[in-house]
Amino acid sequence: MPGAAMRCAGRRRTPSCSAAEAGTAMSVGAETMTEAAAPAPVPGRRTGRRVAALLAAPGALWMTAFLVVPIAMMVYVSFWTQKTFTIEPTLTLQNWGTFFGTSTYLSALWTTVRIWLIVLATTLALGYPVALYIGLFVRNKTVQTILLVVCVVPFWTSFLIRVLAWRPMLGTEGAVNILLMKLGVVSEPVAGLLFTELSVVIGMTQIYVVFMVGPIAFMLSRIEPSLIEAARDLGAGTGRIFRTVILPLSLPGVIVGAIFVSVMVLGEFATAAALSGRKVNMLGNIIVTQVGSLKWAFAAVVGVILTVVMGIVVAGLLRLVDLRKEL
Amino acid sequence: MTLLLELSGITKAYGGAPALSDLSLAVGAGEYLSILGPSGSGKSTMLRVVAGFETPDSGDVRLEGRSILPVPAHERGIGFVFQGFALFPHMTVFDNVAYGLRHRSRGPVSDEADIRRRVGEALELLGLTGLGARAVSQISGGQKQRVALARTLVTDPKIVLLDEPLGALDANLRERMMIELKRIQAQLGGTFLHVTGNEQEALAMGHRTAVLDRGRIAEISPPQTLYNRPGSVRVARFLNCYNIFEGTVGDGAFRFAEAALPLPGEAATGAAAYCIRADKVTVAEETDPAAPGEAALPGRFIASEYSGARVTYLFDVAGSRPVEVEYHLSHRRPRSFDAGRRYALRWPAADALVFRG
Repeated sequence: MPGAAMRCAGRRRTPSCSAAEAGTAMSVGAETMTEAAAPAPVPGRRTGRRVAALLAAPGALWMTAFLVVPIAMMVYVSFWTQKTFTIEPTLTLQNWGTFFGTSTYLSALWTTVRIWLIVLATTLALGYPVALYIGLFVRNKTVQTILLVVCVVPFWTSFLIRVLAWRPMLGTEGAVNILLMKLGVVSEPVAGLLFTELSVVIGMTQIYVVFMVGPIAFMLSRIEPSLIEAARDLGAGTGRIFRTVILPLSLPGVIVGAIFVSVMVLGEFATAAALSGRKVNMLGNIIVTQVGSLKWAFAAVVGVILTVVMGIVVAGLLRLVDLRKEL
Repeated sequence: MTLLLELSGITKAYGGAPALSDLSLAVGAGEYLSILGPSGSGKSTMLRVVAGFETPDSGDVRLEGRSILPVPAHERGIGFVFQGFALFPHMTVFDNVAYGLRHRSRGPVSDEADIRRRVGEALELLGLTGLGARAVSQISGGQKQRVALARTLVTDPKIVLLDEPLGALDANLRERMMIELKRIQAQLGGTFLHVTGNEQEALAMGHRTAVLDRGRIAEISPPQTLYNRPGSVRVARFLNCYNIFEGTVGDGAFRFAEAALPLPGEAATGAAAYCIRADKVTVAEETDPAAPGEAALPGRFIASEYSGARVTYLFDVAGSRPVEVEYHLSHRRPRSFDAGRRYALRWPAADALVFRG
């Protein structure tokens, strides 16, 4: 009885409430039951599902044909048997054994990871301050856009030219050495600038730093100025405000930038080839060489390893921040 | 009452447009001062100058007798409650409130037990107990307002600046927060400087109410005085409850269009503004004789607007904007008038205010 009265109070139906209190609790209960048991069918629900399927179909087909199937093929082919100029679908672990048994290939894996980590660090170190300036200190949206466009101006020339332009810059008789000699910093030209891992890192940093700047500047520009003022008003100094408010709020941008840079650097081969004089070999370079000599099965092994490394890196970065929540 | 905050001759311009011009204001310790200003009157700029977010072009701001202009914002010990609350979105309610204690450069609290106790007290004061672990996105607008207030109050500021603190709340919540704010101020005994564009809020909140007009204080008085006897026609206009006629004083009467209204007292001849509060006016039949000492004005009934506790009637009067007549239903019965018919609007002549134009 009190239960029925409570239900009534909740539903605000005075006439039936008084009836329930008069002893017809059963009928009220039954009414509630039928209401709960038969939810009104949403018209067009099935049509909605069909439209959704139709909208998703082209993308799903495309991804299946050109992503899922090729990756499955790559994994499959990595177990095939390599003959001198052909591959045969006889399953073997030989290619995998070669990769993990040869120091050249293992060192290429290590070089890839090392260069990735260094370039990630340099792009972040160079990119964050630029993003901080564009996103936080420039509060005029137009100026912000202009500055971001300026950042992508180098992309108006071809990738190859941007990479090769570093040669006359870094060479023994290059611009940097001439400048250092003129300034009297060094008496002999510095030889280690070009055709070393350093030149590869410099080249990659220049090419990929903008992918770090963009997402970070975007996140920083979304920080309300009043948040920073509030932190200041509560007594925090500039360093504290950066550490406790600005940095955490820009972290999703750092993660997105890091994913861009990571995916591109891990798969890189052109910069390494052009600026290291083929001395620095990344996994991408191994694939190019192996495909060039028709060693498809072994190239597939390296491809699988590269894909797994990228998968781990991206998954790891995504674990740091819940992007769906933050963006 | 001892003087706590003193602004003298503050001027601040943005790109040539003056926001504050020669503004002076004195706030006593323990006072709740509300500041009424229309948008663009410079009220936010004034608070931002006091907080240290803006530097004035000239003038001085003294707190407890010492100039605080050389002191950076984070060392002033002034609390600022932002209109949009400005809560840190990546922190819980607890961490938001604890921010000042943990991260302030002067005397940060490192003892977590102490922080827990003080934050707990602040949450309790604002009726937020149990919400500490919530994310800022998981609480309602009214609760956000309370968190913003708790975050400021926990740092024990010398003065609390509230920049349109209730502007983002709906009407119902605003009334409740007005009562809450007064209770908290009375309980803590702190000094509150509350800026608003809403005349009801300004009159309800302050021990004294200041009116800010074109970058300077036009008037500062207790709310009753301000409401009943505003010092200038501009202040009367901001209060939004006066009928204002523009005309001239001559031959012992105020004249505009064809009307002549008796003066409430002495008034100099020349251009003038005549103000009468909407709730002082009564509506009579045109043929009824006026009582001695009453001013009368013919007006054509336009429309009425019912808003619960009162009805506002609008009358078309020659040479003026529509005249508002307010009937508070607690002491006057609502009336129905015929649209387009002429009636006589009457009020005691002594209740009018006449200002030189």
